[in-house]
Amino acid sequence: MRVRDLTISYGDEPVLEGVNLTVEEGRFVSLVGPSGSGKSSLLRAVIGLQQPLSGTVETNLARSELGLLFQDDALLPWKTARDNVALGLTFNGTERKKALAEAEAWLERLGLAGFGDRFPRHLSGGQRKRVALAQVLAMKPRLILMDEPFASLDAIVRARVVKDVVALVERERISVLLVTHDLEEALSLSDEVYLLSQGPRAHVIEQYNVPIPRPRDPVQSRMHPAFAPLYERLWADLSREVDHRAEAA
Amino acid sequence: MFLHPRYAWIRQLAAFAVLLAVWEAAGRAGLLNPLYVPNPSRIGAALVELFSDGRIWPHLDATFTAALGGLALGIVVGILLGVAAALVPLIAELLEPLMTVLNAIPRVVLAPLFVIWLGIGLASKVALSFILVAVLIFSTVFTGIRQVDRKLVERVVTLGGDRWALVRHVYLPSVAAWVLGNLKIAVGFAFTGACVGEFVAATRGLGYLLSFAQSTYNAALMFALILLILVVVLLIFGVAGRLEKYLLRWN
Repeated sequence: MRVRDLTISYGDEPVLEGVNLTVEEGRFVSLVGPSGSGKSSLLRAVIGLQQPLSGTVETNLARSELGLLFQDDALLPWKTARDNVALGLTFNGTERKKALAEAEAWLERLGLAGFGDRFPRHLSGGQRKRVALAQVLAMKPRLILMDEPFASLDAIVRARVVKDVVALVERERISVLLVTHDLEEALSLSDEVYLLSQGPRAHVIEQYNVPIPRPRDPVQSRMHPAFAPLYERLWADLSREVDHRAEAA
Repeated sequence: MFLHPRYAWIRQLAAFAVLLAVWEAAGRAGLLNPLYVPNPSRIGAALVELFSDGRIWPHLDATFTAALGGLALGIVVGILLGVAAALVPLIAELLEPLMTVLNAIPRVVLAPLFVIWLGIGLASKVALSFILVAVLIFSTVFTGIRQVDRKLVERVVTLGGDRWALVRHVYLPSVAAWVLGNLKIAVGFAFTGACVGEFVAATRGLGYLLSFAQSTYNAALMFALILLILVVVLLIFGVAGRLEKYLLRWN
């Protein structure tokens, strides 16, 4: 998936301007940047929820091969966990009975066996996140766009969900474009990290390659010798950008 | 132990029994004019008489038919118009001012007009119940759909759902939740419409009986009828509450 010269505007001044970014097949890419740099808008443009002012999103993927994981789980509250997971499958023309069986299998794979009949309100935050993940994975996506999907989880649940996600995307060779505020999370999970400047007119100011080998353990990868220097560099670049904009203002 | 919150209903029942006893005693002592405030025993006797000679049934039948007919029609039409207005701006443009006006005025003032248009039979009572319920449901659905969680809409869209999928999986369940949340109020409105319609002009119904009791200065019958209407509406509230609890069990 290639984003070329993408500009997004909600009013007179563009939020994002001339953004270029590539997600190769099977790669985990993160997008970090200050608040208001248009990270979420970029994801929305990629999946078609946001019309860009100019620029293109090039991809050889079908619409159904793109998955989106929101910060909020956005599960339909009146549907059970199983029905929520089966929803996208039925949209794709899968027979309902088969869709429900597949949904159940995905719930089991994500450690939610026996929870299929529960409504989202009766699940914990971590369980809801897993249901949302199962909903996306059941569609067999080749690229998942993640908009701070782990932000609402507490530390322990977050670590467990993140570990499962990494294992799954590595095993299924799924590409990921993750938007996050968390620099450590970005570096520990990604093959590449893009740093956006402060908005408005945010653009990519730096790209970092993360040479930590796969398969990865998101916790252990923070102990890798390449992690600390990259983290320091990324942090310094981000701080410089924020300070620079503050001075300009 | 008696003051435990679990036994609140016993305390309430006891207080009610004491009130009835005081009321009865005051009546028997001649402190209350039976023309205005009859004794509870006389009200009870009037109620028993209504049922024992069987003359209450045609009236209950008339009121129930009018109220439930108006309720069903009002819910269906309110939902259809609310959904249409929320999804088609032109319909909203035409309907919203009318509904705002109908919402602002006490809609029972339309009762005499319905009698002129539809006669003193069932139709004018159904019409009044219908208009009371339909305006309430329209406002609920119209406002509700416009405030539907955008994230749920986007979720369905990103999973490949089309416009019909959005209606089926997001809008209709949301509408059902809002309508069920207002079902008890709608039931109250429906019975208000039926009774007021019967009160204005009718030959049958609880409202008609009330009007008859008023014109004959029969306070005991009036109290008995008010009590009966109260019990009927509370019973329907109970059913509506159970239905709401079952259908909104996800909440």
